[in-house]
Amino acid sequence: MPLYNPELEKAIIEIRQSNAKLVCIQLPDGMKPMAKEIEETLRKETGARILIWLGSNFGACDIPLGLKEMGVDFLISWGHNRFHRREEGW
Amino acid sequence: MKTLFLDAPYAGTVELCKETFNYLKQKNYQTVALYASVQFVNQLEKVRKQLEEAHIEVITSQARRTHVETQLLGCDNDKEALNLSQEQWQHIDAFLYIGDGRFHPLALVFAQKDLDDEEKEEGKERINKKEILCNDPMTQQLKIMGEVEVKSILNKYRASLMKFIAAERVGVLVTIKPGQQQLRASFAIEEKFPEKKFYYFIDNVLSFDQLENFPFIETWVNTACPRIGFDDQEKFVHVVINLRDAVYLKQ
Repeated sequence: MPLYNPELEKAIIEIRQSNAKLVCIQLPDGMKPMAKEIEETLRKETGARILIWLGSNFGACDIPLGLKEMGVDFLISWGHNRFHRREEGW
Repeated sequence: MKTLFLDAPYAGTVELCKETFNYLKQKNYQTVALYASVQFVNQLEKVRKQLEEAHIEVITSQARRTHVETQLLGCDNDKEALNLSQEQWQHIDAFLYIGDGRFHPLALVFAQKDLDDEEKEEGKERINKKEILCNDPMTQQLKIMGEVEVKSILNKYRASLMKFIAAERVGVLVTIKPGQQQLRASFAIEEKFPEKKFYYFIDNVLSFDQLENFPFIETWVNTACPRIGFDDQEKFVHVVINLRDAVYLKQ
């Protein structure tokens, strides 16, 4: 049994509802070995092409930049939730 | 582009291990401040019940950047960020962190940095440093960041602050990541330290290997992830401090 629940059912519903065709998935290091299973499940269930983010995933502040320019229409980031941004930065 | 965040909750049971339980009893702790990382934060019922049965009071809060009470982020690492009242700080015997690794609980160490400054303020009651009990539900182990370790970590950072005060040429590091864009905020240090010359460096992601190409910089001020100023000290030839601490520095 995996240590963390990847909540794939939520991801599938959201991809279908948004009709996304090119999806980037971003995983924290501890979940990167699950990328195969996640990629294959999301591809099969939604038909969307899945890009696996190779780089870091330190927090919700660390999402990949420039994806929109590559035509990515949906980013799914695991292991973090939204955070409150602060104007002064700290 | 739409973005979805998924918590990836822990799939096992979240509870206090025997070691943690015994330690709490041995130290006769009456009140703990409870925090957890997002993978565990929604499964703390059993932990709360265990503490209640042991007659240990639980204090918690919703830290500044979080959306959920009791959640701890690595970047909520100053005293105000934890949103605990002065009375609660006085009342807490120790922090109890539920999760794995050192990254998140170290935020509770750095949050105690400001207690040193408060000690010097007239009329402000002294708050002792708190140890951090890290209960890992996956390994069922307790790891302790004791008072000596807390003080040692904070003393290293204090030494960096002293070097910043003495520096004349300061490099300010700014990155373009969302939530870390502190360019405007960083200008505040120019007003506070008019005698210093500030040079601004901008990057996509902080490139540590580029720092040595700017040998005229005596001290760096980090405005990106505030953990860089604490956790990545050894990657800097010259010292680094965080922007917040430069702005709030009491000389």
